[in-house]
Amino acid sequence: MSKIICSAAIRGAHKIVGTAEAKCEAALKKWGPVQELGFPNTTYYLPIIYGILGIPVKTLGDAKGVLDKCKELLPAQVSDNVWLPYLAPALEAGMATFFAEEIVEAIRYLEEPNCYTQGENPLPDNIWLGAADDVIMRKRGVEFVDGTAPGFAAILGAAPTSEIAAKIAIELQEKNLYVFMCADHEGKTMSEQLVEAGVQIGWPTRLVSFGPSYTATVFAMGFATRAAMSFGGVKPGDFAANLHYNKDRIFAFAMPLGTVIDEWYANAAGAINWGFPTIADTPIPEILPTGICTYEHVVSNIPHDQIVARAIEVRGLKVTISKVDIPMSYGPAFEGERIRKDDLYFECGGGRTLGVELTVSKDMSEVEDGKIEMVGPDLDQIKEGAKLPFAMLIEVAGRQMQPDFEPILERQVHHLVNYVQGIMHIGQRNIMWIRVGKAAVEKGLLLKHLGKVMHAKYHQDFGNIIDKVQIKIYTDEERVKEILEMAKKVYRQRDKRVEGMTDETEETYYSCTLCQSFAPSHVCIITPERTGMCGAYNWLDCKVSFEINPTGPNQPIEKGECIDPAMGQWKGITDFVFKASRQKIEQVSAYSLMNFPMTACGCFECVATILPMCNGIMVVSRDFMGMTPCGMKFTTLAGMVGGGNQTPGFLGVSKHYICSRKFLIAEGGLKRVVWLPKMLKEEIAERIKPICEEMGIPNFPEMIADDTIGTTEEEILPFLEEKGHPALTMDPLM
Amino acid sequence: MGLSGIEIFKKLPKTNCGKCGVPTCLAFAMKLATGKAELDACPDLSEDVKEELGEASAPPVRTVVIGTGERAVKLGGETVLFRHEKRFENPPAFTLLLSDKMDEAEISAKLTKFKDTTYERVGIVLQPAMVAVKGECKDTSGFMALVENVCNNTDAGLVLMNEDVDALSRAVKSCSNRKPLIYAATRKNAETLGNLAKELSCPLAVKGNSLEELAEISEKLIKMGLKDLVLDSGARTAGKSMEDQIIIRRSALMKKFKPFGFPTIVFPCEMTDNPMKEAMIACQMIVKYGSIIILSEMKGHSIFPLLLASMNIFTDPQRPMAVEQKIYEIGATDENSPVLITGNFSLTYFIVSGEVDASHVPSYLLIKDTEGLSVLTAWAAGKFGADTIAPFVKKCGIEEKVKHRKLVIPGYLATISGELEEELPDWQILIGPREASHLPAYLKQWNA
Amino acid sequence: MAVEIPKVAYAGKIKEIPLGREGNTITVGGESCYPFHLFEGAMPHPPKIAMEVYDRAPEDWPDTALEPFADVAGDPAAWARKCIDTYGAEMIALQLASTDPNAENIPADEAAAITKKVSDAVDVPLIVFGTSNVDKDTEVLKAVCEACEGKNLIIGPLSEGNYRAIGATAIGYKHTVMASTPIDINLAKQLNILLGNLNVPDDKIIIDPTTGALGYGLEYCYSVMERIRMAALVQEDERLQFPILANLAKEVWKIKEVKLSETEAPLLGDQKKRGILMEAMTAQCVLLAGADILVMRHPEAINLVKESIQDLMIRGEG
Repeated sequence: MSKIICSAAIRGAHKIVGTAEAKCEAALKKWGPVQELGFPNTTYYLPIIYGILGIPVKTLGDAKGVLDKCKELLPAQVSDNVWLPYLAPALEAGMATFFAEEIVEAIRYLEEPNCYTQGENPLPDNIWLGAADDVIMRKRGVEFVDGTAPGFAAILGAAPTSEIAAKIAIELQEKNLYVFMCADHEGKTMSEQLVEAGVQIGWPTRLVSFGPSYTATVFAMGFATRAAMSFGGVKPGDFAANLHYNKDRIFAFAMPLGTVIDEWYANAAGAINWGFPTIADTPIPEILPTGICTYEHVVSNIPHDQIVARAIEVRGLKVTISKVDIPMSYGPAFEGERIRKDDLYFECGGGRTLGVELTVSKDMSEVEDGKIEMVGPDLDQIKEGAKLPFAMLIEVAGRQMQPDFEPILERQVHHLVNYVQGIMHIGQRNIMWIRVGKAAVEKGLLLKHLGKVMHAKYHQDFGNIIDKVQIKIYTDEERVKEILEMAKKVYRQRDKRVEGMTDETEETYYSCTLCQSFAPSHVCIITPERTGMCGAYNWLDCKVSFEINPTGPNQPIEKGECIDPAMGQWKGITDFVFKASRQKIEQVSAYSLMNFPMTACGCFECVATILPMCNGIMVVSRDFMGMTPCGMKFTTLAGMVGGGNQTPGFLGVSKHYICSRKFLIAEGGLKRVVWLPKMLKEEIAERIKPICEEMGIPNFPEMIADDTIGTTEEEILPFLEEKGHPALTMDPLM
Repeated sequence: MGLSGIEIFKKLPKTNCGKCGVPTCLAFAMKLATGKAELDACPDLSEDVKEELGEASAPPVRTVVIGTGERAVKLGGETVLFRHEKRFENPPAFTLLLSDKMDEAEISAKLTKFKDTTYERVGIVLQPAMVAVKGECKDTSGFMALVENVCNNTDAGLVLMNEDVDALSRAVKSCSNRKPLIYAATRKNAETLGNLAKELSCPLAVKGNSLEELAEISEKLIKMGLKDLVLDSGARTAGKSMEDQIIIRRSALMKKFKPFGFPTIVFPCEMTDNPMKEAMIACQMIVKYGSIIILSEMKGHSIFPLLLASMNIFTDPQRPMAVEQKIYEIGATDENSPVLITGNFSLTYFIVSGEVDASHVPSYLLIKDTEGLSVLTAWAAGKFGADTIAPFVKKCGIEEKVKHRKLVIPGYLATISGELEEELPDWQILIGPREASHLPAYLKQWNA
Repeated sequence: MAVEIPKVAYAGKIKEIPLGREGNTITVGGESCYPFHLFEGAMPHPPKIAMEVYDRAPEDWPDTALEPFADVAGDPAAWARKCIDTYGAEMIALQLASTDPNAENIPADEAAAITKKVSDAVDVPLIVFGTSNVDKDTEVLKAVCEACEGKNLIIGPLSEGNYRAIGATAIGYKHTVMASTPIDINLAKQLNILLGNLNVPDDKIIIDPTTGALGYGLEYCYSVMERIRMAALVQEDERLQFPILANLAKEVWKIKEVKLSETEAPLLGDQKKRGILMEAMTAQCVLLAGADILVMRHPEAINLVKESIQDLMIRGEG
């Protein structure tokens, strides 16, 4: 904590409390202690005092009592020879400041009943609105709760010019924030500057001119304090709950424009109690994280053209974009559209030209949200039928972003781009392929618009993990080549990372209960080496899914103590499954077919089952329609094992899991596999190669029977014997 | 229950002889485990193994059959308390009560109504299952004549009711080949009726004045060697019946309490004089465990909703019901009517056809076989993609029925529109709403 | 012979929710056992029936359903009064059908004015339904909340798409919300979690897990309700321990089988009685699955269900 700030804040607080005392004394002399005191039309009395202390100030006498408490709260002035003022005294000084200021403002209402207008809009002769009454409070407060207004900027002072004031105000408006204005800087106020600049102020435009003095800050803080009581169910006097509510839910911050005087410091210190940081345009000392606000507490010397963006970042406010602003329709209805040769205007990638798309994460400071860069010709500069190289580099930054999420975000490009009417997108990474139709180009669609799409949709769909998105699109061959080289490097790293992830290296696995709607007791356990049996969800997907939707079907599970490493049983997993299956499944193994196998939902990619005569395991995939050696077709098997039941000897598995080193290791792993449909065998042949080599049987795939060899156990057994299949000599399965 | 397929498999001969109708012993074991096959289908099982497996795999509520031939009624066989846990097995038998106190005209009218009452829904025939003949007059000749009359008039299952044991015995003997349910063994006559039922191999109802008495008589009959019993706890109010039915089912399932391991018989007809209320009580009994539900009348307006309710509750939650693949014409369609396509999950069909109906826009609804899966699930399972829709559209005959070539697909399937246009080059693919409830608005602005 | 009653060990309890304005509330919920399992737990507040009122004269109702209200259709306040005065309604459910963008699409403030009029005309708890159009319902229900401050309406449906906006307004004006999800226990639970995160108080949430009519998907709704109740009572799933509402009348009365006359379908019997039983039996099934509030239409169907509830609330001797 900066000593300069602390001492200034405490100094300011002393001044303000002193002023309040003097005013109170004078008022008491004039009206006596039973004189009613308060803000108009509210049942929350002086809301900060009521909310924090639980004291309903109804009279001047009550106010006097509160001021006495203020003096107790006020820490001693910081002297030059004390070097360690803590944050706490400054925060207490800030609290005392607000209590005193509320009393000052209440006395102002008493002395000059018409000092503020009563209503939502300024009057021709008086632009100052004063405290929000309960009607305004409820109507506007709702917007703070439902997210239409995420928070407010409390601006003290004035910008250097009216134009800058207007720019800042409009930028804040665009982020749906309320702007609460008070105090002057060298005789100028932001409210007056806005009027000068022709900007309409008042509650309806969210530009609220509270009052000309810094003491009007309490109208903003009082608003926040009442929101917690009115919408958060916080009881008056429960200050901890009130402050937490505000920190977690009201995205507010203070923005002093101009010289920060002691009194402002005092107010800023007070606001930190609510978790509201200060973002200043002047070079005052900074306070970096200490744990009360979400991130930094005071950042300073921010140029006016960056101040809003910086404030939003420091307060941890999420950007919301409701519409994808492009000249074409946008939505899932266009996902399946085809662009045929005759309709084709432009294409790239798909083996026709170089094409690549890449999403990477960056430091917060390296990404400018919403920036879209286009290098090389766009659609309006090329002829029909043209082909160009293409690279789209999406750079994202976020306080919750992790490099692990990159591939998942990147995978979204496919359907997000496909949602654009008139565009067809196929593939991903450097095998992507885009076609743009003539009609789309006629309507003015540009490649640059894809940047807008990605910016808007990333914010919409992944707002929880992303704070900033910028997009660079290249059709210039040299640059595309550069990006492609970079992408290849990234892909290699990613692939390595995924390969390097094992069930041992991670302590947290994920659940998937998406299918419980039709399989009530089904719980899929997804580990790095065991993807969901549907094949659609791997461990990373689940991790992201949880970040995005913390109450959703993918929950993290601490695997806990290992009960049996070969079976794949852990204490944490067992407990979780018991609960999530609503007490139906008492034990589950991640790696076993025979002992407490995982339940099956119904949407598994493949089913594994035993072939008793061959002492082995067969796996059949959904796309194989024929009879299998176990005597059941896929559909029959699916009917037998689905519905959330644990069926020893039968298990839903994904294709990916067949190729995992953890595949049914309780039964001996891949070595047990004696039969696969030919198409499945061919599909996974490449992927199981390394495992076969590790097993010391590089030609193992040749030993696995398939439907061309036979579809009964009797037919395939001689084949297995001839090949010397290892399963025949393994321990009996049953 | 409780034996897994693998555990059963271990006891089987492992010959893969196929005589049971499935290719392998493993497949047979799985069918046994899921209750889809009978042990007797395997010719090579020793009696010991049969007994062991039979014991272990028999459902806790015995399956009792009343009647013979096509109209034989299967009851019980239940394994769960809540349908979502697996499924309810055998829907209740709605049974018409006829008494020897009724005059001939009433009896004949009721019997005719009983025989006429039959509905078809999603390919399933819904109808009342049995007739209960009750003797209440001192003179037993009327009762005997009524039993004969009913036997001659219908093949449906029979429940014979008479407090006069002699009359009851005579009646049962007169039609024992029809396997009627004998109603009912009480504390007084349990031995006589028990022996009669045993002798004639007919199922026997047991009536107690309380659950305790019911258990006592039931146990006695089990000891006498009777296997096919049906339970009546004597409750004649809605509240008490509810309680008794739950306790009976729970005792059988949770405690394996043998005396209660049988289907039940309930009497809404004796609980009220108001036919509407009687139907409501019957509805309660469908949900909460009544197996034979005795009704005083079979009017379309009450039996139809009851049959629907019973069909709903006894649908297998894991096996969606499907409707037939074909063109459904809704309203007075012509060559300009819209053409819509969706899957054959029965609920999809009912909801979509209902909304199309409500739109008052005559339309062709193409229902494609998706094995009873809903649109998105079917698509994900590869049963409702462009490659399978296209051949169906071409072959189903819709091209002869309409002049235009516009096909409306469900909004959720927008993603296949391109592919489908390639497969069906003559057709324009339109993307319909995602929710059926928006169909009326959509169809109203539809132009050929 | 002694019969040991196998009892279920209930670990949870449904929350008690007071509905309606202060001083004149009706409480629902509070169960500590499965529906009507009175031999092993308590149902302190028997299920309640809300009678439907429409904001306009219905066009597509069969005469058999419209007949009891023919004299008041088109005047929602009078309709509501008739439900209370003539048919003894315990609650009113106002269906703001004409706000549907696919129908008349009346503006939010008009709908709010209608609601205000109805709410001023009745003293029983008032449920207000939008049309399940996420955006329009947001506008309409927000306006309704504001216009009827202090009445503790039950408003809905709140879905994943609009729970924030409507929920926040409901908090501000102190109304009860109906969390609506499409036939899925996990979605129901998730929406309740989200409402909790928004700070909607626990005594202001009702679950609407979606209801289908007899023959039209009832079994799905039945099982979801049953599962929600099981999770709440036996598996201590705290976020499912809320009363359940079944908005069933509008589902039943739109199906073909209640619209066919006896002449058209002789096997289906008397059209009026059939419609009444279709509605009453749909209600009977969801009652047994765990519904606490039934939204119903036909007075005779309602009477049948009321009697049913009474009968099931008596354990009796025989």
